[in-house]
Amino acid sequence: MNSDKTITYQPDNQIKMGFLSAWKEIINSLYGSRELIWRLFVRDFLAKYKQSLLGFAWAVLNPLITVGIFVYLNKAGLFNIGKTHVPYPVFALVGLSVWTLFATGLSACSNSIVNAGAMVVKINFPKSSLVISSMAQAVVDFLVRIFLAVIVFAIFGVLPSWTAVFLPFAVIPLVMLTLGIGFFLSLITGIFRDMVNVVNLMTTFFLFLVPVLYPAPESGLFAAINNINPLSHLIAGCRDIVFLGRFASPAGFWGSTVFSILVFLMSLRFFYLVEAKIAERI
Amino acid sequence: MNVSSITIKVENVSKKFSRSLKHVMLYGIQDIGRNMFGLSSRSDRLRMDEFWALNDVSFEVKKGETVGIIGANGSGKSTLLKLLNGIFMPDKGRIEIKGRVGALIEVGAGFHPMLTGRENIYVNGAILGMSKKEIDKKFDDIVKFADIGDFIDSPVKHYSSGMYVRLGFSVAVHSDPDILLIDEVLAVGDASFQNKCFKKLSEFKKEGKTIILVTHDLDAIARHCDRAVLFEGGSISRTGDPNSVVNHYYKIILGGNDLSSYAVSPEGSSINSSAAAGKPELDKFLEEIPLTDQCIYRRSYNKNEDRFGDRRAEIVDYLIVCKDIVDPTIIQSGDKIDLYLKISFHNSIGNLRYGFLIKTIDGVKIYGWNTQFDGVSVGPAHGSNMQIIKFSIKMNLTGGDFFIDIGFDELINNNPTTIDKRNDFIHLVVQAKKTFTGLVELECSYEEIKVKQLA
Repeated sequence: MNSDKTITYQPDNQIKMGFLSAWKEIINSLYGSRELIWRLFVRDFLAKYKQSLLGFAWAVLNPLITVGIFVYLNKAGLFNIGKTHVPYPVFALVGLSVWTLFATGLSACSNSIVNAGAMVVKINFPKSSLVISSMAQAVVDFLVRIFLAVIVFAIFGVLPSWTAVFLPFAVIPLVMLTLGIGFFLSLITGIFRDMVNVVNLMTTFFLFLVPVLYPAPESGLFAAINNINPLSHLIAGCRDIVFLGRFASPAGFWGSTVFSILVFLMSLRFFYLVEAKIAERI
Repeated sequence: MNVSSITIKVENVSKKFSRSLKHVMLYGIQDIGRNMFGLSSRSDRLRMDEFWALNDVSFEVKKGETVGIIGANGSGKSTLLKLLNGIFMPDKGRIEIKGRVGALIEVGAGFHPMLTGRENIYVNGAILGMSKKEIDKKFDDIVKFADIGDFIDSPVKHYSSGMYVRLGFSVAVHSDPDILLIDEVLAVGDASFQNKCFKKLSEFKKEGKTIILVTHDLDAIARHCDRAVLFEGGSISRTGDPNSVVNHYYKIILGGNDLSSYAVSPEGSSINSSAAAGKPELDKFLEEIPLTDQCIYRRSYNKNEDRFGDRRAEIVDYLIVCKDIVDPTIIQSGDKIDLYLKISFHNSIGNLRYGFLIKTIDGVKIYGWNTQFDGVSVGPAHGSNMQIIKFSIKMNLTGGDFFIDIGFDELINNNPTTIDKRNDFIHLVVQAKKTFTGLVELECSYEEIKVKQLA
């Protein structure tokens, strides 16, 4: 066994480490915990659906009902959506599926450490696995929703662009952004439980601020805000891949992708800097 | 095998904690903020409300040694284990550990109630750092050791608490650690399982594994350990041969609060000068919402208290104020004390009765009172609320040691159910101002009324 390896615990262990050795340790730790991530994922997955009658259906019921509400609001003239190239329910379902990946992923990630509190204070294990396995849960739900979307496409007789097959790749930047923010928030939530409410509030608010259920506005202040919002670009990019076959704003999408990667890397480093402090604060 | 090789090296390690939740949040953000910008968290300084749970602890453990750690509650034993396990980081000093550490600190912590025993073995094994291959190989041994039979494919929420612990213990011991940290887990399970555990421990010892055993079972320390370490107030007070350390510890416990260390001054007032902060400290007491039992940090708290009750609510803190002195250990006969109690409710309780009883050192009841006697109705109290109450008592007592029981009951049709009763909870020394015999100062005064010639 690795009985020759000496572990040292001292204050500010991570800070004293050089840049390269710190990243080496992060990568080693992530690689070393792949088994644990998988097990935690399977555990949560089984637990979620075991004592549930509808099981998987819940992953698709929520977006379906939300879309239904907006179709109704649109028809009733309460909510003016503007022109979409494809039937509105199809349009909204794609946007909402991608959005829900972000929203559920973010809330699952930020609660992951607090929810495992009992374990965190009693066992020493790589806590990043908790965050990653929570995100994986959201990704699986997303994949389930894509299958549902295929059925809805068929009902409405909409033929997506052939590039739609790249959708699972197009969401990767969004997943990285979610994980990045999630890593950060998971530790903050460990200290302030308020973050649970803040995250819920923000995702509800952003659902309306970001063009998820309506097409992006073309001019005015709202368009300007959208233009600097990486979330808008990432979600619009996914929608473009499905309907348009190309990015309407390639610079926006790729710029946001770079931004997401940076957020992810910075957050990951932050997580490993602070991880050791969280057990005594939870 | 190189017997003299050092496996665990603890050098001048200190660990601090904060008493109030508010500060935990504030300091947590402070530390994170500093770390984020690559600054040291300057963990070697105490901030307001922080205290050293472990203070300047150093020791070494050789490969293959079994070391027992003993000490009263709150002396820092469990904190030390968490540091050795890497759950907490030291705030000062450093720890070096050679080899894979396995911890039996509250086993089964990662179990999910909905999953079957089989599924949980894989999850728990992964949390403890085992690969799937390793678990596959040891699966049968784990199940056999845990002795749960057909229940292996039932959700663990249907397990008895014994089965739950046995399975957790079994996974942990099969994770093949070089160093085993054990915290009081042997106390659970029935006699036959405990026997099996000790056998397993002997096996580990024979294989040359290093074991750190934290327990209140002093006989186990004397029987199984090569060396014992006694913790007192966060520091190592004695280390060496298990028998002599255990004997020393017995002496301390049987001595109760070490009375010889009370510095008695003629006036009896300067004794508490260090605690004479007065009002601010009381205000702090009235504000703080403690998470854990804070009573143990009070100077008049008797660590050999006897506690029982169903704990639907708990006494989480108390404070005695006497003539502006906060938390005195010595008062003067005739002083009026204000005894504040802080109770935290986990459940809602309809009708309550608070009471206390003052006794002498040999258990003679001097004065007992409860709210029912005066027809004071208390309650209802709501779950997740905190309540602070106050008894004001005039301590007309003789000089000596007195112990106070405190408790409260739920009253249903005048039938009490004990919720939290802490007997011999507080230890106060009373200094007599005047000389008399007996227990109670009845404030006798004397005068001559008349002098008359008899014949």
